[in-house]
Amino acid sequence: MTAGFKARAAEALADPVLKVAVERTAGTAETKRAAAVAAFEDFEAARTRAAAIKDHVIAHLGHYLEQFEANAIAAGAQVHWAETADAACEIVLDICRRAGAKSVARSKSMLGEEIGLPHALAEAGIERVETDLAEHIIQLAGERPSHIVWPAMHKTREQVSTLFRARHAEPHAEETIAAMAQSARRHLRAAMLGADVGISGANFLLADSGAVCTVTNEGNAELSVVPPRVHIVTAGIEKLVPSMDHAVHLLRMLARSATGATLTQYTTFYTGPKRGADLDGPEEMHIVLIDNGRTKMRDEGLAEMLRCIRCGACMNHCVVFRQIGGHAYGGTYPGPMGAVLTPALDGLAASRDLPQACTMNGKCQEVCPVRIPLPTLLRGWREKSWREGLEPASTRGAVRLWAWAARQPWLYRFGSRLAVRGMRLFGGKWITSMPLASGWTRHRDLPAPQGRTFMEQYRERRR
Amino acid sequence: MTERRQVALFVTCLVDTMRPRIGFASIAALEAAGCEVVVPAAQTCCGQPALNSGARRDAEALARQTIAVLEKYAHVVVPSGSCAGTIRVHYPEILAGDPEWGPRAEALAGRTWEILAFLDQVCGWRPEGVTLPVAAAYHDSCAGLRELGIKAQPRRLLAAIEALRLMPLAGEETCCGFGGTFCVKYPAISNAITEEKAQAIEASGADLLLAGDLGCLMNMAGKLHRQGSPVRVMHTVEVLAGMGAGPAIGEAE
Amino acid sequence: MSAREAILRRLGGNAGDVADEARALLRAPERPPVDPAALAETFAERLAAPSVAASLERVPVAQQLPAAVARHLAQHVPMPGLYLPPDAWLQALDWRGIALDAAVTVDGGAALAVATAAVAETGSLVLDTSPTAPMLPNFLALHHLVVVRHETLVAHLEDIPAPLEQPRARYWITGVSGTTDIEGQYVRGAHGPRFLHVLLLG
Repeated sequence: MTAGFKARAAEALADPVLKVAVERTAGTAETKRAAAVAAFEDFEAARTRAAAIKDHVIAHLGHYLEQFEANAIAAGAQVHWAETADAACEIVLDICRRAGAKSVARSKSMLGEEIGLPHALAEAGIERVETDLAEHIIQLAGERPSHIVWPAMHKTREQVSTLFRARHAEPHAEETIAAMAQSARRHLRAAMLGADVGISGANFLLADSGAVCTVTNEGNAELSVVPPRVHIVTAGIEKLVPSMDHAVHLLRMLARSATGATLTQYTTFYTGPKRGADLDGPEEMHIVLIDNGRTKMRDEGLAEMLRCIRCGACMNHCVVFRQIGGHAYGGTYPGPMGAVLTPALDGLAASRDLPQACTMNGKCQEVCPVRIPLPTLLRGWREKSWREGLEPASTRGAVRLWAWAARQPWLYRFGSRLAVRGMRLFGGKWITSMPLASGWTRHRDLPAPQGRTFMEQYRERRR
Repeated sequence: MTERRQVALFVTCLVDTMRPRIGFASIAALEAAGCEVVVPAAQTCCGQPALNSGARRDAEALARQTIAVLEKYAHVVVPSGSCAGTIRVHYPEILAGDPEWGPRAEALAGRTWEILAFLDQVCGWRPEGVTLPVAAAYHDSCAGLRELGIKAQPRRLLAAIEALRLMPLAGEETCCGFGGTFCVKYPAISNAITEEKAQAIEASGADLLLAGDLGCLMNMAGKLHRQGSPVRVMHTVEVLAGMGAGPAIGEAE
Repeated sequence: MSAREAILRRLGGNAGDVADEARALLRAPERPPVDPAALAETFAERLAAPSVAASLERVPVAQQLPAAVARHLAQHVPMPGLYLPPDAWLQALDWRGIALDAAVTVDGGAALAVATAAVAETGSLVLDTSPTAPMLPNFLALHHLVVVRHETLVAHLEDIPAPLEQPRARYWITGVSGTTDIEGQYVRGAHGPRFLHVLLLG
């Protein structure tokens, strides 16, 4: 699927509008996060604690899943388990069919994207109303999310305006972002309230109460899942936390890292379906606990990746993401976290470029609220790629030859002396083109070597 | 100074081949700071390219070789944040499971320093009587900054250079797009990142760009030169050693 | 083997005292400091922050609540009609002079709710569903009015009292329905309330 990464990246780089769009949102997010972190007294210690909470849960995941399940059932929810994406979709479709659902209101969930739920619903002939504004935009455009927090990050206001004018019955009268948001509000409200089933993801699952926590700034999760008769939650098994207070710590980290807020506008804890005398709420609540490779990740060196709370800070701060946007990555999840997750979800052979297309600058790890060592995990994929022979033969040959030479100090010295003399044939001060160096010289000049190696000159001076 | 610190200089491949001047500047600065400098003859490459390519076994073999060459010295000093980071941070990681070499890697890591950090933190040295009338911008190379915590050290050292004005550089902590083999494997992406860096450098008003890693410096210098920019580029230690008036990267000796 | 069994088998059992370890992780959490002697002041500051952007009015006694609400509606809400939940305590007040609606039916109306607690750290309002407290009106209204009793103010999110009986939904409101989905620019009133007015009682 990501075999065409370089082609997609080239397309993205050639699109000046995309660059503007990504810069506007990611740039704003970067500035706001920096202010929020600066205002928080001990953010570094808070990151360490957040990582420890997630590590604790992942070490005792079986225990917490069973505890959560028991409490959710006691609260009247129905709990389902799925090992694969297909099994998860089948469970969701089955619930929809039994509910006689013609339409579902869906509140943005990256897990839903990961398991291919939008596609599965379409195949089953069930109308899908995406209620998150960004998801609504990309649903109208027939596209996929390009960011996990801002799925329509790749769209400029001008593009959204054109889209809404073509597709909304009563589009915005003036060219402001506020007016466009109002146009979506008018368009979505009726559709949202008339849905038969509401589907949401989960930001956290609270083991000690069986509660499901969602966070949104728009309030669309609540509007999606309160009115319909049935609420379905699709959640990755790594979303567990022991208790409310553990969730609180992670919520503080999530909001600051994602948007720079102290807390997301709407933070809701759902515990079971409507009680007897309640005035609203669904009759049925279903929670689908989904593995889809997570237990395998835990066992195969990617346990730290299961800490991820999906804040998007790594991609907002990634120099590569900022240049190419999210679609070029080709998977459900873009940016650094996506470059770690996509090989696990879609297979390394299909995504070998992703762990390579990184400068290893470490910024993602620096901003990660749960201290995921993203460069280390990417290096792990590079090693697997090397072991499995997925790297081009030319690269393998060159690295092997060089590494062999580097183990013969005198040969290495000699080779270095030859190399610098050879390079000087292509320019005395600057080399503008040279065989085997086009990757460098296509875009920049190469300063010519000074002429003789340090080791040569040093030995002479010592004599 | 009661006893001269014994220091082994790990030159690094890029300095050895592309800009030996940085090696001699390192020796001069270290000697000025009261160190006795030796250059172990059997040194080659720290193995960083293998490590970042995923060639783990080759990386481990080069790590063992480098440890064997360097471990007899009291201090190892490296004029590159990323090569120093490879020895200090990554050797202990990749050899962690090796009962013999793991502890040796840890021991060497504890004695290995990036040169600017060493001059500032270990030697407490400041250049004396060095004047360079220039507006300079400092780029924080990623490995030095994030693996080794090098941020204040070069600025403290540069503050002792007379007539040198340090200009603020927007995005000074943002990667320049070099990334080792990344820049030749994904040249178009690398170029887009480097172009933005070059813009920021030009906008800073500096006429000299400094950093602590030759790879990053060559990348930025190459871009600036291609764009016809007059900004000169040099390793920080060259300035500290009083060699700042000499040829910058891409200038004739 | 069921999916449940397969997943749990792969995850394996757990060793050690999980509960003790979990508790230890919560010792002295890093969080914004809140002066316990200045809860109301801190709460007011947080409400005024741009990301919350709620207005605040202090109402000394419950009997003055209807008048305060009437004034707010007259000044800020062009559309008549207020949704009042069937809360006996609220209904016992004298709401004559305010047009009440049985439900929020049109986009643009106002709804009032009573908070279970409120948090100085963040300016959050804690609401619980119950037979006298529906959830939907608070997301449908354009103008959201929330009554907070002074004595229910707490310093930090951890201090919110656990409910005696778990409500179907407990929700923390920290601002209005907003979005940054188009170019990262913050817009209020994405789907639900665009205006949040807090009436601090007592």
